[in-house]
Amino acid sequence: MYVKIASTTQSVLNKFPLKDKSNLIQILQAVQEKDDYLSPEAVVRISEHLSVSRSYIYGVATFYSQFKFGPPGRHSIRICLGTACHVQGGDFLSNALQSEIDITPGETTEDGKFDLERVACLGCCALAPVVMIDNIIYSRMSVIKLKEMLDRYE
Amino acid sequence: MKVKTGKNISIKIDGEKFSVPDGINVLEATLLKKIYIPTLCYLENLQPYGGCRLCVVEIKNMRGYPTACTTPVVNKMEITTDSPGLKTLRRETLELILSEHPYTCLVCKDKNDCTEFMHSTRKVGTTTGCNFCASNGDCELQDLVGYLEISDVKYPIAYRGIEPERNNPFYDLDYNLCILCGRCVRICNEERNSEVLAFTQRGNTTIVGTAFGESQIEAGCEFCGACVDVCPTGSISEKMGKWAGLPDKSTETTCVFCQVGCTININSRGNRIINVGPKIGKRMNPPQICVRGKFVPGDIVHHPDRITTPLIKKGGKWIEVSWKEAINYTASNLERYRGNQFGMIGSPHDYLEDNYILQKFARKVMRSNNVDLLSSYPNKEIIEKIDKYYNTFPPFEIDSIENSDTIFIIGSNGSISHPIIENRIRKAFRNGTEIIFANPYDNRTSSFSHNTLIFSDGGELLLLHIILSGLLRNKNGEKTENLKLQLKELNFNSACNQLGISGSQVNSAVKLISDSKKLLILAGDGILRGANCIDSFDALFNLQLLQKNPDNCRIMFLLSEGNYYGGTFAGMNPDLLPGFARIDNKKSLKKWSDHLKIKLNNTPGLSRNEMINSISKDGIEALFVFGDIPGNPDLSGLKFFVQQNMFLTGISKYAHVFFPTTSFLETRGHIINIERKLKKTKQVIKAPEDTRTPWKTLSLLAQAMLEEGFQIKKSEDIFQELKTQTDLSFSTNEKPGKNYLPVKLIPFKKEKEHTEKDSLEYNYFHYSGNNLSTLIDDIKTITEYGVLK
Repeated sequence: MYVKIASTTQSVLNKFPLKDKSNLIQILQAVQEKDDYLSPEAVVRISEHLSVSRSYIYGVATFYSQFKFGPPGRHSIRICLGTACHVQGGDFLSNALQSEIDITPGETTEDGKFDLERVACLGCCALAPVVMIDNIIYSRMSVIKLKEMLDRYE
Repeated sequence: MKVKTGKNISIKIDGEKFSVPDGINVLEATLLKKIYIPTLCYLENLQPYGGCRLCVVEIKNMRGYPTACTTPVVNKMEITTDSPGLKTLRRETLELILSEHPYTCLVCKDKNDCTEFMHSTRKVGTTTGCNFCASNGDCELQDLVGYLEISDVKYPIAYRGIEPERNNPFYDLDYNLCILCGRCVRICNEERNSEVLAFTQRGNTTIVGTAFGESQIEAGCEFCGACVDVCPTGSISEKMGKWAGLPDKSTETTCVFCQVGCTININSRGNRIINVGPKIGKRMNPPQICVRGKFVPGDIVHHPDRITTPLIKKGGKWIEVSWKEAINYTASNLERYRGNQFGMIGSPHDYLEDNYILQKFARKVMRSNNVDLLSSYPNKEIIEKIDKYYNTFPPFEIDSIENSDTIFIIGSNGSISHPIIENRIRKAFRNGTEIIFANPYDNRTSSFSHNTLIFSDGGELLLLHIILSGLLRNKNGEKTENLKLQLKELNFNSACNQLGISGSQVNSAVKLISDSKKLLILAGDGILRGANCIDSFDALFNLQLLQKNPDNCRIMFLLSEGNYYGGTFAGMNPDLLPGFARIDNKKSLKKWSDHLKIKLNNTPGLSRNEMINSISKDGIEALFVFGDIPGNPDLSGLKFFVQQNMFLTGISKYAHVFFPTTSFLETRGHIINIERKLKKTKQVIKAPEDTRTPWKTLSLLAQAMLEEGFQIKKSEDIFQELKTQTDLSFSTNEKPGKNYLPVKLIPFKKEKEHTEKDSLEYNYFHYSGNNLSTLIDDIKTITEYGVLK
């Protein structure tokens, strides 16, 4: 794993000049595109290349919600908290889901099964509240239905 | 404060006319005129931030409420600093800040009674109010609540529930108390260039932190403590004086740990040091200090293992005795070892006064020239060469480092050995100064250089020679021809191969050096402790002379200990009498013989290593050590061995008498720093009752041995004696020649592969030879981890 990340990061970095931190966000995007996320090892490599500290890179990266810091799960859960879903109890559903799989939005479960994200609208408000797992939308969800649904995924 | 032009402009503050320099901002103008505006994020010397929104003011013809710290003054500006509207706005802002900070005590009706009666409620896991906070009484929020008369916070408490970090060396972090003023982040990045702290996340989840939430050690913190000093709340708090109460006295003195000799301010309460930091009520102590100056003084002075009674070894055991008994016992023993069998090793952290009396005792009472300092350099001539250099080119001032256009650093581990000089180098780098960094191993300095030359170990001299030959390429003239001739044998390409660096790297360095108008050369331990130190020194000197204008170029010698140069100046050198007078010079020998009223022994003395090595060959029979030296089984061969130190150490098992000594904070004196400036130190706290300064011990001993000239009452008398006998103003009439020094080509021998451990082999963390990493746990943690590499 480490060797792979080190080599993909290096291939990205080769395109950027040394010690020029103005390219930081471009580099982060390119690394995330290849690795799916920003690993601590990749951040070390970037910091060496640009001569900036890891804290600086992490500070910049955490400001933007596009950057992830852990590998994605095998299945990605997106829970909608848009207006309609919120009114229909999306918040309640979200809390139940978070305690069920023991992660907060932006994280991946320890066994690597699920990752969780909050989204603002999935475009099917009539079916609220909705949850999207991988690319399938589950409509009119309840806590019990959601629990059953999760058990179907390996 | 940046002043654009020398011009002054006229402004009106609260209806009163003032004239202030152009280019400063409104807040600085009010500070100049001593008008108070509340602020939480502003700090002198840092870029204005405008984060806390408390310094809002009203300015005529300007919309809204601009922040004073980000608004530059312009001519005829009319500023109102206080009005009912501003007060409401500031109160509202502070209430919002407080809603994320445990404020219960701040607005509690019973807070006065509470502070009076609840003394024991403090040491708690989480801070829920002022009475449970280490910074109670030294908190800017408390001051502002008082100033803005806030009696109620209408917002609900938003407790962030962040786990406080208590596993860092030296300081604790509790970001629940953080108000995100950004002072620590800005000082870490702007002033120190350590880049350990950053704002992570965003919006209301923003906190100050490190990458992936790792500890400060892992993030590469250098533990300079600047963030501790500037924090307006209890969010970052120093472990040492944490629950010891508020300081009642501030004393400004000089740090002796390295040659920079920074001014440090020590806050104490009664006879106890609370911390080293800004003065009471202030938040920054410019200039900056480093881990040793900030955290070590209190820890060594109040160390639990400190010895505070004289000891005599009887039957293999240490017995506590009175000073009188110890002095008489030592004096009667020393009587038997007068002459060349006596040796004395002094501490380069002790003052000029101490070291002067040390050598006076050795030369006058013991009739021996075997005097040296604990951490003497492998080649004892180097310090004399440095002194001669100083007489030719007066030493460089630390404040001028940033004015150089090129800095050539060779063989230095500055971030550990001289962090404050490293700090200036980093600032210079950020301002566009060209930095050439040449070292056998990579260290932190290389991130602040566009020209890093990592050469094979032991290659300092060869590198200097190829740089010299590069500089000589375009030079003509009789003298340079001679130099060229001496370097004729040198093959540029094969030399580069031997050093493992590319020719183009060397050439670009040569170009930078020869184009430079104000070159600064920093010579670290790679040069000064290297095998070919004298030749490297000569090469550096020639390099300076090859500059277009050598007078604009300087070499800075990064000597380690605070008073190494000063100790040698006071005469603690086997070859040198006080004032760098050579012992083989008949005139100076006579002068000092006359002064000391004795015919001085003219046998050249032994250096530290020579003394230790001669023990087994019946050379040295009695030794007096001030501090600690590395353990050596040969020491058991000594017939009489006296140690004066703060702690019992590895060599104490060979000692016969042990005298407890004072630390540098418990006595007055002088040191000579890297700028060759005489720096005065003050007594900060009283020394423990039964400890004596080295000069006091020796004057008692000399009196017990019935010697004249040691009836000293105070250290000022010693300084006066030294001042009348030597030239402490360092004015020199003799102008040594500025001729090229001969160059000797020495075949390059590759030394063993350098490891990171080797780079830490020379221990910069010691005080009077005592290893700080065995004495202080937190220093052990950081040296073991190697963060300060």
